[in-house]
Amino acid sequence: MEAHTQNKTNTLAIPIALVIAGVLIASAIFFRDTDKSGAAAPAVDQQQQSAGNLESMIPITSEDHIRGDINAPVKIVEYSDTECPLCQRFHTTMQQVMKEYGKDNKVAWVYRHFPLDQLHPRARKEAEATECAAELGGNDKFWAYLDRLMEISPANNGLDPAELPKIAEYVGFDKNKFNSCLSSGKFAQKVETHVQNAQATGARGTPWSIVVAANGKKYPLSGAQPYASVKQLIDIALQQK
Amino acid sequence: MLIQALQKVYRKPAYIFLTLFVSAVMFALAVLFPNLRLITDVLASTDVSLASKIQLPISLLGAIGTNFSAFAAGYTILIALLFGIYIGMVVYFLKRRIKDVGKSGVTTGFLGIMSGVLGVGCAACGTFLLTSLGLVGASGVLSVLPLKGGEFGILSIVLVSVAIYMTAKKIQSPLTCKIEN
Repeated sequence: MEAHTQNKTNTLAIPIALVIAGVLIASAIFFRDTDKSGAAAPAVDQQQQSAGNLESMIPITSEDHIRGDINAPVKIVEYSDTECPLCQRFHTTMQQVMKEYGKDNKVAWVYRHFPLDQLHPRARKEAEATECAAELGGNDKFWAYLDRLMEISPANNGLDPAELPKIAEYVGFDKNKFNSCLSSGKFAQKVETHVQNAQATGARGTPWSIVVAANGKKYPLSGAQPYASVKQLIDIALQQK
Repeated sequence: MLIQALQKVYRKPAYIFLTLFVSAVMFALAVLFPNLRLITDVLASTDVSLASKIQLPISLLGAIGTNFSAFAAGYTILIALLFGIYIGMVVYFLKRRIKDVGKSGVTTGFLGIMSGVLGVGCAACGTFLLTSLGLVGASGVLSVLPLKGGEFGILSIVLVSVAIYMTAKKIQSPLTCKIEN
């Protein structure tokens, strides 16, 4: 009798363990993806903030770095880290997107900074460097600088900071002016604002994108997703009127 | 011993299908995990066509080639496959009504899959579940690990492999009643 009970317990252990595994996984998904911005105990505030709210996204203005037409029906706001290998991969994907959808002004690409300091300590200064490029040469030069940076950086914190002024020269800036801007740290706060905004919208890693449809509906897109998925999502967003 | 146990289990095509199904679900969960919120948004939307609702999640599976390093993609696929095999073997047990499946085997398999789930994501870009759960300092912990969190994937492969081995051992054990001392 005792042995029978023991056997029964052992047999039940399998489905119970599987159910527990399922519940834990589901819980993990829930905590990650549920927007719980409502009232809550202070002890869990940090986790609730990290759940994110897409509506916290800073509105797109002409002050943003925009590739394409600001009045395009679909806008993709990308929060990115120049030292993240997947961001570099996704940069190429977005270039492809703009080649297909940018020419008809259907999509605009908005770039914001989300350097992951703990993984890539150099990325924050690189973000500031792109801002200096924008200050010295405007929107087009920002993108030229960013494209070049993404192109030559070996990623994973591998770009020598001495390369930053060289990239500036490559895109046509005066090296001294660029260095002066970069060493001033004048864009540090702007980068930090972007970082905090990325986190507020729910970013956990990079690249983190928010696809905004014409009717204002926002879709979160996490990671360097394939072109087919981005295209699919753009087509969905284009239907939202 | 392991091969013989696998031959015994996979003699019936149903276990092959079960293994493939479980592996496919695990793989899809791992790859789609970062975008579950997007998928649920799209599926819940009344403005989106049925075709798009089907096509988007399918296209997102392509992220295994773009959103994972070769190393992470490798262990993600391997974990899914091993877990499918593990479930196939466990179900084989249940169907045969063998009551003495080792608790330790179950626990090891369970730990393995949980470890694998923690390892899902991009090591270099901080999109691990650990950080997703909002654990304080998780990014910092990952940054000091030599494989930036890929350790969870390796640990998972080891644990699920051990669970499979232990289950295989049980399958191969003769069905005899033990003499109580």
